[in-house]
Amino acid sequence: MDFANLASQLNAGTILPEGIVIVTLLAVLIVDLILGRTSSRWIGYLAIAGLLASIVALYFEWDNTNPISFGGAFNGDDLSIVFRGIVALSAAVTILMSIRYVEQSGTALAEFIAILLTATLGGMFLSGASELVMIFISLETLSISSYLLTGYTKRDPRSNEAALKYLLIGASSTAVFLYGASLLYGLSGGETQLSAIANGIAISGFGQSLGLVIALVFVIAGIGFKISAAPFHQWTPDVYEGAPTPVIAFLSVGSKAAGFALAIRLLTTAFPLVAEEWKFVFTALAVLSMVLGNVVALAQTSMKRMLAYSSIGQAGFVMIGLVAGTQAGYSSMVFYLLVYLFMNLCGFTCVILFSLRTGTDQIVEYSGLYQKDPLLTLGLSISLLSLGGIPPLAGFFGKIYLFWAGWQAGQYGLVLLGLITTVVSIYYYIRVVRMMVVKEPHEMSDVVKNYPEVRWNLPGYRPLQVGLVVTLIATSIAGILSNPLFTLANNSIAHTSILQPTAVVTTQVSAMNNE
Amino acid sequence: MLTTLIWLPILGAAVIGFFPGAIAASSARLGALTIAGLVLLWNLFLLLKFDISNPGMQLQEYLPWNDTLGLSYQLGVDGLSILMLILNSLLTWIAIYSSSQQTERPRLFYSLILLASGGVAGAFAAQNLLLFFLFYEIELIPFYLLIAIWGGQNRTYAAIKFLIYTAVSGALILATFLGTVWLTGSTSFNYDTLSTQTLSTALQIILLAGMVLGFGIKIPLVPFHTWLPDAYVEASAPIAILLGGVLAKLGTYGVLRFGMALFPQAWSILAPSLAIWGAVSAMYGAVTAIAQKDIKRMVAYSSIGHMGYILLAAAASTSLALVGGIAQMVSHGIILAILFHLVGVVEAKVGTRELDKLNGLMNPIRGLPLISALLVLGGMASAGIPGMTGFIAEFIVFQGSFSVFPIPTLLCVIATGLTAVYFVILINRTCFGKLDNNLAYYPKILWSEKMPALILAALILFLGIQPTWLVRWAEPTSTAMVAAIPPLEKTVTSQVALNP
Repeated sequence: MDFANLASQLNAGTILPEGIVIVTLLAVLIVDLILGRTSSRWIGYLAIAGLLASIVALYFEWDNTNPISFGGAFNGDDLSIVFRGIVALSAAVTILMSIRYVEQSGTALAEFIAILLTATLGGMFLSGASELVMIFISLETLSISSYLLTGYTKRDPRSNEAALKYLLIGASSTAVFLYGASLLYGLSGGETQLSAIANGIAISGFGQSLGLVIALVFVIAGIGFKISAAPFHQWTPDVYEGAPTPVIAFLSVGSKAAGFALAIRLLTTAFPLVAEEWKFVFTALAVLSMVLGNVVALAQTSMKRMLAYSSIGQAGFVMIGLVAGTQAGYSSMVFYLLVYLFMNLCGFTCVILFSLRTGTDQIVEYSGLYQKDPLLTLGLSISLLSLGGIPPLAGFFGKIYLFWAGWQAGQYGLVLLGLITTVVSIYYYIRVVRMMVVKEPHEMSDVVKNYPEVRWNLPGYRPLQVGLVVTLIATSIAGILSNPLFTLANNSIAHTSILQPTAVVTTQVSAMNNE
Repeated sequence: MLTTLIWLPILGAAVIGFFPGAIAASSARLGALTIAGLVLLWNLFLLLKFDISNPGMQLQEYLPWNDTLGLSYQLGVDGLSILMLILNSLLTWIAIYSSSQQTERPRLFYSLILLASGGVAGAFAAQNLLLFFLFYEIELIPFYLLIAIWGGQNRTYAAIKFLIYTAVSGALILATFLGTVWLTGSTSFNYDTLSTQTLSTALQIILLAGMVLGFGIKIPLVPFHTWLPDAYVEASAPIAILLGGVLAKLGTYGVLRFGMALFPQAWSILAPSLAIWGAVSAMYGAVTAIAQKDIKRMVAYSSIGHMGYILLAAAASTSLALVGGIAQMVSHGIILAILFHLVGVVEAKVGTRELDKLNGLMNPIRGLPLISALLVLGGMASAGIPGMTGFIAEFIVFQGSFSVFPIPTLLCVIATGLTAVYFVILINRTCFGKLDNNLAYYPKILWSEKMPALILAALILFLGIQPTWLVRWAEPTSTAMVAAIPPLEKTVTSQVALNP
């Protein structure tokens, strides 16, 4: 194999965005080694610049005519680009949040950023991985970095406990996923590429066999863990409560988006023969997640725990689009994950700000906050109302599109359940708004009475403010001016060959013929 | 044209809410009053431009918005909505005028009122189902906060109850909207391109029932009314005016616009049960109001009763009844506004709303004579005494409905009689009798407190004596709406013929 042939097989240009992230990651590490703590003033901005450059590079990858690279291990199609963008953007905002948070916890910033960038790298590769080994490796890169990040504040026993819990559950679920993947390898007669697996299984005559169903269930156990779908959600509340807040901001957006990217790619390409079955399983997961996430969130007293259950419920909403299984369904997922990024990160930025200034994140301690910190009150109110789907905020449009796509695909029951649980969710989101806005001055909590004067010029606060304002504006207007985002979401699905209805039908038909 | 009605208040809300620097309560109020006044003037100007003889949509505006969702910014008014728009801007102005000069957190208060007012205007003008829903849901949070922050003793409970009921109503409405649009195979939510003729009758009935339930919570119809007494009583007077005067009309407007006009066949099948429902609501409201000891609660239950008549009129679906129903929406809005305003003044001056403690307010020197007189007038208007707008509206409703549903109409006439009973009780216990010499040192009533009631009273009398100004706007529209509905007898006979 001569070099030119090899280069065209590799087609390494498609992973340029990841390449930029790798370079940034190494730069952060090396600079930290050489300069020590003194570099922590600007190292965060270096990482953000790297991530933004990576997003710019993604923009130039858009509509790549030759997306398959590394001999089919990586697929840089538009679907992967939009999910890689979501992961990179969530990491960039997470760094804005963490500069002050990590400094205040007395740990090294550069190490934190390096691990976070590794997780980002894993998530970005996972979004485009189209081969079983590649999927597993990127999944592990993401997971192992997430365990490290969860236990990063190592003097805090809650953080340690969360890391242990996350590690044990995560490692087992990856093992289950690996077992499912190895079954796929065996069933298909030794294929590891997703596109070849479906055909291989059809040829070898396992089209509707028990083995394929078991492989499917095992794989879904791994995916369900990443997107924290009930009943694979048990780690979420504990990890969210124990882990450093910027980490859960990343886990709730970046890691979850990567999980959904994996779900779309794996299920549509490797399991077209059992499409009814995985839709049925995901219907069950969506029903459980919407009900459990939203009902249990009613009873929470800690802000981070409430957001944990809310993120389980939100995953349930997103799964409506997956179950719908139409082009509109997939693009509604992409759109919802895009706006979910803005509203969730806005909410978490406010939670971080509050806990930085007061050292607590109990919901009752927020009472009377509007007097001391109007910007924080506005940001948290808008993001929570948007999560509850109140017009004209971004979340309203996201939910409408999900429900609309679900209804078009005939999932009436799921949409009605989504509507009912949305009403439930409004109740617990508004509870926080009530604490902050409605309470009278004499009902202020002690923490708010002693609230420090709001100053933004302390080190590390300015990036928090920038992150808050940017995500707040995006949450407020991404719904009204949603056309570009809708076009982006629709195009990313329409330009992706694996999701074209004709493509799926022909694979299925040819597979059936071979049978 | 119509855009101004929506965005001027919302812009005003943003200016008042985010204006840098401190603003005194009185200047915030003045600013809000100016904006609401401008909106009202603009609305009157639109009323002049409105072509009465045209039954269709006028002053239309169209902007493409989101093709994927089928959402477009499409506005328009007809005889049904122009009256609701003018009622909205009038009552917003009155509500701001009747708010106290010393409201706490004035900037949030006035910007929420203006935001809500812009949203209501948008809902009345929207000609796209999803756009209507968007504006319908915008009300949710501002009114929640308006009740929860500036309300009475039990405001937290009342506000959350209002929020949940309204959110459930929104969910039902969205489900039926999605169902209607998708099942008819339409790609957009535009009102004028929707046609439900292709749907089977059973499906139409299910969708219509969902819609009536959704809007029935807002109207509210018994048994979905239980949020209303709490929300109305706990809200401060200006907010109660908006809640009862404007927000409840969103429910009846929705039933007429999206229930009756989109599902004519199903409507004629469900009409008998709706008529009975309306009559039961009216009777229930009247009977429960008699039992109340709190004047604000009485007025709140009277509102349930009066909204029942509108459902009766809609169910009868003769063009006369429909004109009456629209007139009843307007006159109920005005009458409820004057009553809530006066109750608010009485509460502020006397310090209680209990029927057992109030007495002798008619006393010319130490009582509140003018307020009492206006209260008598408002009560009479609400009870359907001729010469005032309430009588006109109710009489047209009864006249139009009697030929179709005689028994429910008679029940509603009895309910009107009972309305007179509890308003006589109210007036007797508050205005007549003797003042308690130990407690009766009431503060003076300022001119600014009398003004809103005087304006509304003048309007009530004017529309009662010159009722064509009330009904002329809606006549062609209601004739056109009714023409689409198959007459009731025919449906019944054809069903009999189908099932021999």
